[in-house]
Amino acid sequence: MLPDWKRLLVIGLLVLAFMAAPMVIEIGTGSLNLLIMVFIFVILSQSWNIIGGYTGQINLGLAAFFGCGVLVTHFVWKAEMPIYLAVIAGGLSAVVLAGIIGLPTLRLKGAYFAIGTFALAEVCRIVVGNIFERMIEMPGSYAASYSLIPRYYLGLTVAFAAIAVTYFITRSKLGLGMVAVRDSEQAAQVTGVNSFKYKVYALLISAFLAGLGGGVYAFMRLSFHYVTAVFSPIWTFEPLMAAVIGGSGTLIGPVIGSIFLVVLSEIFALTLGEAHLIIFGLLFILVVMYFPYGLVGSVSRIRQIISRVGRGLCETGENCRKGF
Amino acid sequence: MEFVLQTIANGLLAGALYGLVALGLGLLMGVMKFLNIAHGTFIILGGYLSFWLFNLWGIDPFLSIPLVMIAMFLIGLVFYRLALSPLLKLPDVGMRIDTSMLITFGLIWVLDNAMTMLWTPNVRTILTSYTGETFRFFGARFSFTGLCGVGIAVLVGLALYSVLSRTYFGKHLRAATQDAEAASLCGVNVQRVYLISTGIAIALAGVAGAVIVSSYSISASGGIGWLLIAFVVMVLAGEGNINAIIPAGLVYGLLEAGSVLIFGVPYRQAIALLVFVLVLMFKPQGLFAKRE
Amino acid sequence: MKLLEVENLSKAFGGVLAINRLSFSLDQGEVLGLIGPNGSGKSTLFDTITGVLKPDTGRIRFDNKDITGMASYKICQSGIARTFQLVKPFSRLTPLENVMVGRAHGSQPARNIKQSRIESKQLLAFTGLGDKHSGMAGMLSLVDRKRLEIARALATRPKLLLLDEMMAGLNPAELDNAIALVKAIRDSGISLIVVEHVMKVIMGISDRVVVLEVGRKIADGAPEEIVNNPEVIRAYLGKKPYATN
Repeated sequence: MLPDWKRLLVIGLLVLAFMAAPMVIEIGTGSLNLLIMVFIFVILSQSWNIIGGYTGQINLGLAAFFGCGVLVTHFVWKAEMPIYLAVIAGGLSAVVLAGIIGLPTLRLKGAYFAIGTFALAEVCRIVVGNIFERMIEMPGSYAASYSLIPRYYLGLTVAFAAIAVTYFITRSKLGLGMVAVRDSEQAAQVTGVNSFKYKVYALLISAFLAGLGGGVYAFMRLSFHYVTAVFSPIWTFEPLMAAVIGGSGTLIGPVIGSIFLVVLSEIFALTLGEAHLIIFGLLFILVVMYFPYGLVGSVSRIRQIISRVGRGLCETGENCRKGF
Repeated sequence: MEFVLQTIANGLLAGALYGLVALGLGLLMGVMKFLNIAHGTFIILGGYLSFWLFNLWGIDPFLSIPLVMIAMFLIGLVFYRLALSPLLKLPDVGMRIDTSMLITFGLIWVLDNAMTMLWTPNVRTILTSYTGETFRFFGARFSFTGLCGVGIAVLVGLALYSVLSRTYFGKHLRAATQDAEAASLCGVNVQRVYLISTGIAIALAGVAGAVIVSSYSISASGGIGWLLIAFVVMVLAGEGNINAIIPAGLVYGLLEAGSVLIFGVPYRQAIALLVFVLVLMFKPQGLFAKRE
Repeated sequence: MKLLEVENLSKAFGGVLAINRLSFSLDQGEVLGLIGPNGSGKSTLFDTITGVLKPDTGRIRFDNKDITGMASYKICQSGIARTFQLVKPFSRLTPLENVMVGRAHGSQPARNIKQSRIESKQLLAFTGLGDKHSGMAGMLSLVDRKRLEIARALATRPKLLLLDEMMAGLNPAELDNAIALVKAIRDSGISLIVVEHVMKVIMGISDRVVVLEVGRKIADGAPEEIVNNPEVIRAYLGKKPYATN
């Protein structure tokens, strides 16, 4: 692994490159849309990663937090609030929803959190569908001045914020406690970690990010024909899949998974149509069964094995390890 | 007054079905510690089997239930071999639950979309000569198909109860769950017991699907809605308390019917969530938990 | 001065009494050996002291504070640490991170992450894992995982450390190292309760020994008194003299 300052430098350069890209080169509408979708997926999969990958609590209702963020952002923005406030409102609304389901379920052992979040998303989808029978949209003046560039920058900002938040969590006391709870809740408890508190913190941060992701989507899409679509389980499944395929419990895994997934679904959607979800489903099952640490985890696993073999080959381990 | 009676009748008819819907999920989760998120999708698959048996060969949906059960049992065996049996190697039960959950979550997408491609996303139902026939008891109307559903739910519930508590197979299953290693030392073939139980659980989902397609309707992506109901019923019954599942289904059916009367249909599922959260907050061991 | 006082403690599973009206106490700086045949309630006792299980009756006082039924993490933060008989490392973390969890959350947590990293490295060295900072803790050998378990417990800065069969399965050389480690821990001022089947170890390091049989205390005294106590010989040593493993 690179030392910290080099990593920061690489990330800084990446941010600058992404910032400058639309100014320097002409990016087509299709590519811009694709990039914004990648950003949204990075936000959502990183959100799943915080509670699922780092804390070990499987969230099957990400769509609830996302959809809630979309709706609240949409209406706050429509009330002529500035978009960045509307997006934050979207994030906060998801936090409230997360509290409602998290406080009763995270205390219990077993699968209650997963079942609870799943139920939450499904109930939101149906109830919202019953309440909003017509399509919702922004007034025509918003559509007239529509440009993808501000959407691009908002998505970029929130995506990097999501990565940064995850990075700082993993280097904090909170992050240490979270991974301890994931690996053995009982051992974490007797080591002084208040596991319930940490699970709740992780959930709230995660939900806030998912709500922000919803906000970005609301900014991107001015109208929603079927409001239920933003609560569709696909908004849980695809980010979850991005996180798991890339490598849950790692910082960069969800990012790689998101790029992989968005690009792949673009290709598949053109060639295979609906059938691409069957392939995604199968791929996901195979990864869960045979590569539980995802792409990133598998790579570092292989590297570990190589370095152990290497260490075995030469006698003074310390000097040899540098070679790998 | 008649209105209230009718609500109770509707609640009981729906409730028995809800219990039936939760049985397979409860068996896999409560006894074997596999959480099958694709349970609702298996229910839909059973419904389609029944639908096609009726449409192609004109076999009555209630008479075809044994055929559906056999087919779903076999599907369950394949499901266990491919997806669940590798999980027995995992070091603890928590990991087994989590991993089975993720795998079956992926399976939803495979099965849902495969069914959509094979049989279109259209809503399907079975219309027989007796569909829509009703009986009157005490001023409330009961549909014939609904009553058949209640009968089947009670029958299946009792059968499962006797298999689990009165047979050697049931004893072996409980032994395997408590301590797989000790059970296998005592001559219990843990893999085989789990294999057959998974077959039974999926066959139970098939029965539920057959009943649903004759008294309600099914669509390829409708499994998630039934899963939600199965979850709430399972939580009401208390995890691992299989015998309480049919009663818990009835309780939930009545609750739902009553709440629809008060709050209206649009919030029906919100009541489900509310019940779920309240039970977990105040009685996480379920309404029917036995005292130790 | 009494550090730990257990009074009239009972814990039942179903109809089986795992601990039956148990009372004993521990002085500051003392090493207490806890022995008894399998199933005599030693691990259950550790679980109730550390809040993993809630006792049915009885009181546990630690450091002049009632800790009965408190949450595990609070008990840890008030100064009791433990190891598990079946080791429970945070398997996807590195050994260093394992110890840092304790250093960041225990009774006197480090000021910041950097500080806890430095102090955790010292603890790894102290327990003989000095060269094993990286890799996944789950991949360590059993001996190393046991050492890690001790390092993580020490990282919470306990006043009392409960060791649950840390020496089972060690070879003679490893055993000597482990005994030296326990003595070093005692010399640093930490009181200990040690559950062990290896008599040589118990007799060698304990100031006092408590003997349990089916959840009851049948003897309590200096090691040399215990080996000559007829009750103990009948219940334990008689059946299973000097269990070796």
